[in-house]
Amino acid sequence: MMRRTAAVLAGKATGMLSRLSRRGGGTTLPGDVARAIDPDVLRKLARDLKFGSVVITGTNGKTTTARLISWLLEGAGHRVVSNRAGANLIFGATAAALESAGADGRLRADWGVFEIDEASLPKAVDEIQPKAVIVLNLFRDQLDRYGELESIAKRIESALERLPAGSRALLNADDPRVAEIGLDLPAPPLWLGIEDTSVAERDLPHAADARTCPRCGASLIFDAVYVGHDGVYRCPNKDFTRPAADITATNIQLDGFDNIAMTVGMRRAYSADRATETQAVKPDQRLELPLGGLYNCYNALAAYAAGVTIGLEPQYIAERLKNFRAAFGRQERMEFRGRHLNLVLSKNPAGFNETLRTAVDLAKGNSFLIALNDRKADGTDVSWIWDVDFERLKGKATVLVPAGSRAHDLAVRFKYAGIDAAPPEPDPGRALDALVKATPEGETAHLLTTYTAMLDLRAELVRRGWAKPYWET
Amino acid sequence: MAPKQKTFTVGWLYPDLMNIYGDRGNILTLLKRAEWRDYDARMLELGRGATKGMEDVDVFFFGGGQDREQALVYEDLLEHKQPPLERAVRSGAVVLAVCGGYQLLGHYYQTAEGERFPGIGLIDVRTEAGKKRFIGDVIVDIDTEMPGLVPRTLVGFENHSGRTFLGPEAAPMGRVRLGFGNNGSDGTEGCLQDGVVGTYLHGSLLPKNPHLADRLIRSALRRRGDDELSPLDDSAELSAHERILERAQRRLPARAPQERELRSSAAAEPREPS
Repeated sequence: MMRRTAAVLAGKATGMLSRLSRRGGGTTLPGDVARAIDPDVLRKLARDLKFGSVVITGTNGKTTTARLISWLLEGAGHRVVSNRAGANLIFGATAAALESAGADGRLRADWGVFEIDEASLPKAVDEIQPKAVIVLNLFRDQLDRYGELESIAKRIESALERLPAGSRALLNADDPRVAEIGLDLPAPPLWLGIEDTSVAERDLPHAADARTCPRCGASLIFDAVYVGHDGVYRCPNKDFTRPAADITATNIQLDGFDNIAMTVGMRRAYSADRATETQAVKPDQRLELPLGGLYNCYNALAAYAAGVTIGLEPQYIAERLKNFRAAFGRQERMEFRGRHLNLVLSKNPAGFNETLRTAVDLAKGNSFLIALNDRKADGTDVSWIWDVDFERLKGKATVLVPAGSRAHDLAVRFKYAGIDAAPPEPDPGRALDALVKATPEGETAHLLTTYTAMLDLRAELVRRGWAKPYWET
Repeated sequence: MAPKQKTFTVGWLYPDLMNIYGDRGNILTLLKRAEWRDYDARMLELGRGATKGMEDVDVFFFGGGQDREQALVYEDLLEHKQPPLERAVRSGAVVLAVCGGYQLLGHYYQTAEGERFPGIGLIDVRTEAGKKRFIGDVIVDIDTEMPGLVPRTLVGFENHSGRTFLGPEAAPMGRVRLGFGNNGSDGTEGCLQDGVVGTYLHGSLLPKNPHLADRLIRSALRRRGDDELSPLDDSAELSAHERILERAQRRLPARAPQERELRSSAAAEPREPS
C-alpha cells in the first residue's frame, strides 16, 4: 500500500509540474514515474474502478471511439477515467488513472475507458482486466515503428486469448485480419459490421493489406469495400468468409464532415457478464451524430456495441450521441479571417484515403493543406504517401498547399498524381498563410495532417489565438 | 497522320502481395516519366499464376512484402515467373527489385536457424538473416558502375533484417554515406548485374531519384534502338532529394566530418567492381 501511494503521489506531482511548465498536458511522463516506483500501480488502480474498464485498440479510430464511450458513460452520471490525449501506451493509461486518484492512492471512479496501442495490448489487458475489448481494424501503419501487420495481429490475438472470464471481445467483422483473430478465440466475440452497399467503393485501394485467405492463401474476393480493406470478402475456395455480424449498421447517410446517420440492428445481444447473458434482441435504433465520414460509422457502431454490452439503453445512447464533440485534432473546426478551417488527423494510407474521400466527395472541398512530418510519432518512413490515393484531388483541389517537414516529398507525390500544387512550405505559419491567402473568404479549407504536423499547426493556431491549447479541450 | 505511339510497359510482379513500402511510387514514376516523353505507358499486373505479356515488358518491378505474403509469392515465382523473367532479362529488359524482391532474385535466403530458401539466382547475391533490423534514412554515393548519373547520390529509406552479400558477378550501386545498405558491414548498397538493379532503398526509391528512374527506362529502351530520352524538369524531385542530403548533413554528429570527406572522395575515384 505504501509503495502504491508513493507511486501515485510522485506521478501526480510530475503531471502537475509538466502542465505548469507548459511542456504539454503531462499525458505520459507521470505514468513513467509512477511505474518506476510501483510497476503494479495500474493493476492496483484498475481494481479500484467500481464497474470496470473498456479497452479500445486498432490502427484507426481509437481516440474517437474511446471519446464516444466516455461521452456515453459520463452522460449517464458515471465518473470516467480515460487517457484522452491520445497517449495510448501503457504509460499513458497509467498517467490517466493517476490523475483521477486521490492523495490516499485510491482511484475513485466508476469506469475506465482506455485506448491502447496495438502493440501494448497484451500488457494492458493483463493489468487492466477490462470488461470489453474493441478491435476496430488493422491497417498498415508506420512499419518502421510497429513492424509488420502480422506480428501486431498475433499480439492482439494473444491478448484476447487471455481475457478474463466475463469479458467480451468486440471485433470488426469487416476487417479480414481482425476476423482472423476472432476465429479461434476461446470465448465467442461479438461481431460488428456495416451492411449497406450503397456506401461501398468498387475497388480495393492500393494500400489494402490482408487480401489473402488465412487458411489456403488464395486472394480474397471483395463484394464490397467500405474503408481500406474492410468490407465484404470471401475466399474463392470457401475456406474463409466475413463472419455474420451480431451488430450491424445499415441505411447509412453521410453528410460531409458534419453528420453521419445510420440504423443499428442487433442480431444477438450480450452483456459483459456472461452469467447474466441475455439473448434478447434489441429493436433497431437510428443513430445520428455530428461526425463526418464512413470511418466514423465504424467508431459509432463500436461505441454503441460497447455501450449496450456494459448495460446502457439503446435509446439513451441514440439521444446522447446527437450532441457529441470530436476529440482534439481528430476533426476540429475553427474560424480564421472569415475562412472555415477543418483540421483532420490523417496518419496512414487507410485513414488518409477516408479523410480525402470525405473532404472531396462528401464535403465538396476544394481548398487543402496537406501536412506530412516524419518524426517518431508520425513514422520516420514516408513512403506510405505513395499508397494514398491523392489522385482523388485531381480536378477538385483549386488550392493545395504541401506542408510539414516532408512538404517536398508531398510536392513530388502531387506532381506524379497530376495535380497542381503550391510550392512546398515546411514552416507551419507560412503554410497557413499560403492556405488562407489562396482560400476565398467564406470558404472551407481542409487541413489533413499527420500527428506531429497537426501539433505544429495547432500550436501555430493557438499562438494566433484561433484555437485553444489541447489540455483545455 | 501522326506516327504510331511507341509503348512502354512496366510489369509489376505481385502487385497485391509485394507492395509494402509504397512501391506504387516506383511504378508511377516509371509510367509518368515515359508518358511525359510521349510514350504510351502501360502497367501489366503480374499476380500469382500470370505470365501473359511478360515478353513485352520493358521494366519489371519486384517489391517487398510481409513474411506471410512473401511465402505465398515464393512458390509462384519458382513455378511460373522464373523462365520468362530470365528470357526477358537476356533480351534486354530491365528489373528493379527492392527489399524482399531483391532477396528472392539472389541465390538464397538463409534464416537465423540456418535453413536455406533458394531464390531464382538471377543475380549473384546471397542473403542471411541478421539480428538487428536496419531502419532509417539512407544516402548512397553512386559507384562508377553507373557513370553519367547526376546527381551522384541516391536517397531512400531502408527497413530490413536481411544481410545481402554480393558475389563477383554483381557490382554494388554505391557506398552508404548514411544508413546500413546491403549488410551493414562492407559499406555497399544495392547491386547491378546485367539489366537487374537490386536495392534495399524504398521511400519510394524512384520519385526522389529521377536520374535512376531515367537510367532504367533508357536501358530498357536500348534494345529497341531507342535510348534518347528528352530532358524533363526535375526541380521538384531534385529539391526533395536535396532536402534529404541537407538534413543528413545537419544530423550527422560533429565528430564525423573527416570520415565523411574520406568516404565521399573514395566514392568518386574509379574502382573495380567488388
